[in-house]
Amino acid sequence: MKPKDYRSELEPVWCSGCGDYGVLKGLTQALADREVSPDKLAVISGIGCSSRLAGYTRSYSFNSIHGRALPIATGLKLARPELTTVVVGGDGDGFSIGLGHLPHAVRRNVPLTYAVLDNGVYGLTKGQASPTTEIEFKRDRGLAGPDERPLNPVLLVLSSGAGFVARTHAGNLPHLRAMFREALAYPGFAFVHVLAGCVTYQTPDYAETIYQRCDLLPESHDPTDFSRAVEVARGARFALGILYRRPPDRPPAVVAAELAGEAGVWPPIGATSASAFPGED
Amino acid sequence: MNPAIPESRAAAGTGPPAADAAPAGAALVLALVGSGGDGVALLGDIVLRLAAQQGLYGIMVQSYGPQIRGGESACVIRIAREEIHYEGESSDLLLCFRTRDLERFQGAVRLHDRSVVILEAADPRPVPEWLGPSQRPVCRFPFATMVDGAEVEGDPKNMMGLALICRALGWPHALARQAIEKRFARKPQHLARNLAALERGFAAPDVPALPRLEGHGVPLHIESGNEAVARGAIDAGLRFFAGYPITPSSEVMETLIDELPPAGGRVVQAEDEIAALGMVLGASFGGVAAMTATSGPGLSLMTEMMGLSSMAEIPAVIVDCQRAGPATGMPSRTEQSDLNHALYAGHGDFPRAVLGVFDAAHARDVMFKAFHLAESYQLPVLVLSDAYIAQRRSVRDATIDNRARPARLAWQAGHGPARFQLEGEHVVSPFRVPGTPGGQYLAAGIEHTPQGHPTADTATHQRMNAKRFLKLEAMARETGDWYRTLGRPDAPRGIIAWGSQYGMLREWVEIHPEYRAFLPEILAPFPLAALAAWRRGLAWTAVVELSYQGQLHRYLSSLTDLAGVHAVTRSGGVPLTHGELARLLGQADGRPLQPRSAT
Repeated sequence: MKPKDYRSELEPVWCSGCGDYGVLKGLTQALADREVSPDKLAVISGIGCSSRLAGYTRSYSFNSIHGRALPIATGLKLARPELTTVVVGGDGDGFSIGLGHLPHAVRRNVPLTYAVLDNGVYGLTKGQASPTTEIEFKRDRGLAGPDERPLNPVLLVLSSGAGFVARTHAGNLPHLRAMFREALAYPGFAFVHVLAGCVTYQTPDYAETIYQRCDLLPESHDPTDFSRAVEVARGARFALGILYRRPPDRPPAVVAAELAGEAGVWPPIGATSASAFPGED
Repeated sequence: MNPAIPESRAAAGTGPPAADAAPAGAALVLALVGSGGDGVALLGDIVLRLAAQQGLYGIMVQSYGPQIRGGESACVIRIAREEIHYEGESSDLLLCFRTRDLERFQGAVRLHDRSVVILEAADPRPVPEWLGPSQRPVCRFPFATMVDGAEVEGDPKNMMGLALICRALGWPHALARQAIEKRFARKPQHLARNLAALERGFAAPDVPALPRLEGHGVPLHIESGNEAVARGAIDAGLRFFAGYPITPSSEVMETLIDELPPAGGRVVQAEDEIAALGMVLGASFGGVAAMTATSGPGLSLMTEMMGLSSMAEIPAVIVDCQRAGPATGMPSRTEQSDLNHALYAGHGDFPRAVLGVFDAAHARDVMFKAFHLAESYQLPVLVLSDAYIAQRRSVRDATIDNRARPARLAWQAGHGPARFQLEGEHVVSPFRVPGTPGGQYLAAGIEHTPQGHPTADTATHQRMNAKRFLKLEAMARETGDWYRTLGRPDAPRGIIAWGSQYGMLREWVEIHPEYRAFLPEILAPFPLAALAAWRRGLAWTAVVELSYQGQLHRYLSSLTDLAGVHAVTRSGGVPLTHGELARLLGQADGRPLQPRSAT
């Protein structure tokens, strides 16, 4: 299979220069790399510019309703585990209306690749603030919530106990392809945060500015080091790469027992040695 | 009025007042009332099991106070030699551990002149007058352990009560012992004191006897409405369930957690009802028969997803155990007020089917029909149960369902049209199950062309709406006889009702042969031709339901001419009894023929 074999006959309606084109390209390349059968591929999305991506793939795709792609994909994957199930959506779809589903999808650890195409703005409804819109932008444009700080989605999924957390950006095709390739192979819930630009409702230089704020993780980064992943996620700049990958041969319950105190995972019974207040024991 | 009364009275009147054999159609009503810690629910459960074990039919309803735990609780059990569908009204036996606990059940518990009343010996209060008179002396038994005039924790009262009930019914001592030994098999530390309490009850000097009901000797099955919904769904091919806990539907999910995995299915407890129906649609998109179960507040959350099911033509079965609403309402109380929601809720125009459950036995059949409609017509099917029948447990014969499971028309490579193309005789277009080579398509909540491509074209929208609504026409042809009638076909007075009114009306028309009743199994599309045929020759008709607005009356008014048809309705809470129905029908005779206005 070649990447174009994963494209449907539909032509994208995205604006010229939209970051979502790159994501579609990177995803289809990764699907080809993994030799996923298009007959056994499902792409589930919600509503938003980026959710249109489902229809552009040659797959059993479902462009559902706003914010609900994760439950739908969860039901599908549990009922048909042999299908490769990819979930795509935007920051409004995933981090605002649909956020309630995210920690639970993480907790269930059903093997889904969830890509959030985060351009920090509502494009389809023409330019409102999203949960990841930066304060300065909201103030400049007179958008709602100028005093509400943006969400850190990577930290959120890490704290929920996600086993695979990666970040990439729409301007770096080889990196995008590599992240999707890794996420598709992860035998649990895999979260890929994709920074993308909106050429219409963000400033013309938004994408470039965002990309300039990104750093590739150093080769020395140990993706099994949870504390380090949290540190990186809290950093002032955007780290690109696999921030965290829990060894997949260990089910979460076992990991919980081993990593007492991993954020988002309930402290296991018997974890009496670690203090509830690190640094004070 | 109450079928239990004439029968037991007849028995009492034809011979000595006690211990004579009751006729074949006889039934007895036992009311058990206590407070938290008295173990009334366990007592009721054991009595019902003992009845089933001896081949007696029965029905048990429980009533709790608003407390999570503790507080007053009552249990009404009716046992009979023939299958019964209604728990009756006034009690042949009342067992109450504390007279003041009766107050909360005023109206729900009543006596007749031959009732046996068993009360606490240390409780000086008389029998409240509202209970009605019994001509038999009250039996007082020292259930409570008293120290210096105050009650302290003592031996289990419910086991003493069990002994007294067994004696009143003439049930074997050994049967009760075995039941307790079985119940406490895994708690041997509690067995001895429970058995000791039972013996104390059996040692009581004199316990008044009730007419004897002889069981058939073949053990029978016990099932609640919720259990029957779950098992009926499994028999109909359910393989994926997602739900969120909510009173009074939770036992559907709890039953499936135990029983669906052995049948090869999966159960997920979702984070909310939106996710629950989302998961169901996901599984069904994958070609797997799926359902959820909820109650009113959950159904409200599922509403957007119901439209998606219809728009994307993905089968889904949604069970709604109605409770008194709106908002939180009265979660443990019954009502028939989600009918409007089931029929109309959701933005835009979309087809759906709505079915109503009569009782536990009927639930099996309804679930089969629900899956048949969902899978055949690729749309959401709502099944309306309610708190009354969901948690009522009944003893019935075993069910053997040999019908072929409902199957979806599946697309195969080289055959058939585009996913949403309607061709020839097809009322639905073949479903493309993921994994089928070459069948890839886009399912969408957005309006789409027959090929599944997004569109905002007015003419296409009109054509696709017509395509989707065509299913209801075909369905109406198939479901025209999905209703039941009760009573003599030439009876002059008619009652139109639905759902859980069935059992009460079934006995009503036997006692009042001037009445007949019509109950639809399917509310949408409504079997209108059958209703019209049934109405012929009626001199007087009423729609009987439990909703403030008279939702069924209003709905039928929109479908057919209801001029002259009375709306006999009130808000939910406790179910309608024969006594109240008689009063409401009498009132309807003398008042304007309009439902109470909500506006």
